[in-house]
Amino acid sequence: MSDNNTVRKVDSVPSGSTAKDSGAPLLQVRDLKMYFPIKEAAGLGRTKKVVQAVDGVSFELKAGASMGLVGESGCGKSTTGRMITRLLTPTAGEILFKGTNIAHLKERELRPFRRQLQIVFQDPYSSLNPRQTVSNIISTPLRVHNLVKKGKELDRVQELLERVGLNPEHHNRYPNEFSGGQRQRIGIARALAVEPEVIIADEPVSALDVSIQAQVMNLLEDLRRDLGIAFVFIAHDLGVVRHFCDQVAVMYLGKIVEQGSREQIYGAPQHPYTQALLSAAPDLGTIRGVPPKERIRLVGDVPSPIDPPSGCRFRTRCWKAEDICATQEPLLEPKAHSSAGHAAACHFAEPKVDLTAATA
Amino acid sequence: MSIGSPGSTVGVEDHPASAEPVRTAATPHGKSPSRIAFDRLRKDKVAVTCASIVVFFILIAVFAPLLAKLEGQNYSTFHTDLVDEFGYPTISFSPDHWFGVEPKTGRDSFARWVYGARPSLIIAFLATLFGTVVGVVMGLLAGFLGGWVDRVISWLVDFVLSLPYLLFAIALVPIVESMRGGSFNLTPQEQAQIRFYVLIFVLSFFGWAGLARIIRGEVLSLREREFVLAAKAIGVPTRQVLFKELLPNLVAPIVISASLSLPAYVTAEAGLSFLGVGLVEPIPSWGQTIAVATNWFKADPLYLWLPVIGITVLVLSLALLGDAIRDAFDPKTRR
Repeated sequence: MSDNNTVRKVDSVPSGSTAKDSGAPLLQVRDLKMYFPIKEAAGLGRTKKVVQAVDGVSFELKAGASMGLVGESGCGKSTTGRMITRLLTPTAGEILFKGTNIAHLKERELRPFRRQLQIVFQDPYSSLNPRQTVSNIISTPLRVHNLVKKGKELDRVQELLERVGLNPEHHNRYPNEFSGGQRQRIGIARALAVEPEVIIADEPVSALDVSIQAQVMNLLEDLRRDLGIAFVFIAHDLGVVRHFCDQVAVMYLGKIVEQGSREQIYGAPQHPYTQALLSAAPDLGTIRGVPPKERIRLVGDVPSPIDPPSGCRFRTRCWKAEDICATQEPLLEPKAHSSAGHAAACHFAEPKVDLTAATA
Repeated sequence: MSIGSPGSTVGVEDHPASAEPVRTAATPHGKSPSRIAFDRLRKDKVAVTCASIVVFFILIAVFAPLLAKLEGQNYSTFHTDLVDEFGYPTISFSPDHWFGVEPKTGRDSFARWVYGARPSLIIAFLATLFGTVVGVVMGLLAGFLGGWVDRVISWLVDFVLSLPYLLFAIALVPIVESMRGGSFNLTPQEQAQIRFYVLIFVLSFFGWAGLARIIRGEVLSLREREFVLAAKAIGVPTRQVLFKELLPNLVAPIVISASLSLPAYVTAEAGLSFLGVGLVEPIPSWGQTIAVATNWFKADPLYLWLPVIGITVLVLSLALLGDAIRDAFDPKTRR
């Protein structure tokens, strides 16, 4: 991208470094819960049960920072992201954006916050309306929030297209004329249109080809650096998260099991689940003849979130589990041997190094 | 596993460095999915032929008075001099009466035939229009809002679909007529008017439910698509989500349903008129003519064949056009 500098001058938004200095967190999530009621036929009557999709998630996000949410499918990552953007109304808990709790605001009161919190979706094929032109898709947020004077919309649309690395002349094309990576860029341009402070990226690259993944990741990285946008980055690909996020939270069955900085999580993971996740990542070294490292194999399936195990939710698959794990739920707290900001929810937490290669 | 360090420029898709917004007249315009379907339709020979036939009939209906004037006749004048004492017409094709005259009354057959195209088409189009609008709105509301709205509308749909259509249509005519003072007190003109509206009402009343069910299903699946969520995350008001985001995606089922219900309504109108609950004199209609003509078939086959050919060709081309439209919107159904 030889024309980086010329492109960046287009935007007059303060750069990330200034936004990062302010101390108070931009977004605070406290004890967020999402229970989905389900009805099941049982005998003659019906029983009402709940799926505890997210059960008490808390984290903070500073302006311009990026937070990675990782975990396997069905652990509540996406649900958390959708609650923050209020596509779902949480069952309980608080979402504080600049001190205002938006968790239970009505749609009308929520309007101004919609501008600040945007979301980029996983599937670029279903996230763009196939019947609207690119210019229509990107100008919808401009029109809804009255951001641009009438008649000037096209200029702003083209500016945004250029910002995400697309040809601005393609504004009157339809989504079906673009590739997956290009579509994802259009989705990013739509999120950028309202000049948000936080973008929830819900697995933005997992549906893309690996070579395209790198391009889109670089774009997100550029946006973070140049526009100072804070990211909540939801992914199951540990490599992508390691590349992009300063803070990482590992989720298992609706709860955060370990939280810390990138170095802490990747360098010295303490929770057995994190260790298992990291050791499962394929290692390119084995191809070159390096003896493969010991791999932690988890047995069994993830338990049902309808009826999660008592105590520690991971105990059914954990090799360290003892009686206490079934009776007492471990809290997410800093452990004796952990450095500042590192917390794990395990009775038998201990750091295990050497699970991943050193950062390139 | 490090995917490009910050500042890496690996493989970022390049666009011309001089990407100043140059807008020339030659800027390629994208094709919308509807546009693509329409282009596909234009290449389909059957579709083009059928569309021309349908347009031909519409023109006949629209210019019926003009065509009758061209012939120099009208549909209501009796020519008793042209029928013999038993009611049989004494002339066939002639310069004065292009298609001959009706048995018994001696009214001009050509004029009655061109005027007869009118009620079929008007009723079919109006019933399709009302049925489609009501069906789409109901389906959108049920699918998108869910909850009790969905339950009420779905119950209504089930209820309407379970009603016996033919019985209802046959019973409704005398009911409405008696509410308007009984058929003896109505002038033929009034009676014909009432039946005209009752037909439109009956056809659209039974037509909306099926479409509403289809639209509801489509909306249920579209509503979970991420572009609808994205619109919500942006804060687009519900009405705009319904009509600007969802409705354009429902063009295919709506057009298909409309194009398939048109021939069905033409047939239904003719059928009900034949059964005696459709249109009555003085409005000329094909169904009614067929009903009368069956008595004269041996002596005057042309009298029956004219409306039969009219209806058959019209319904056949509408149905084939409907099929072609469905294929154009969904190429996977093609043989």
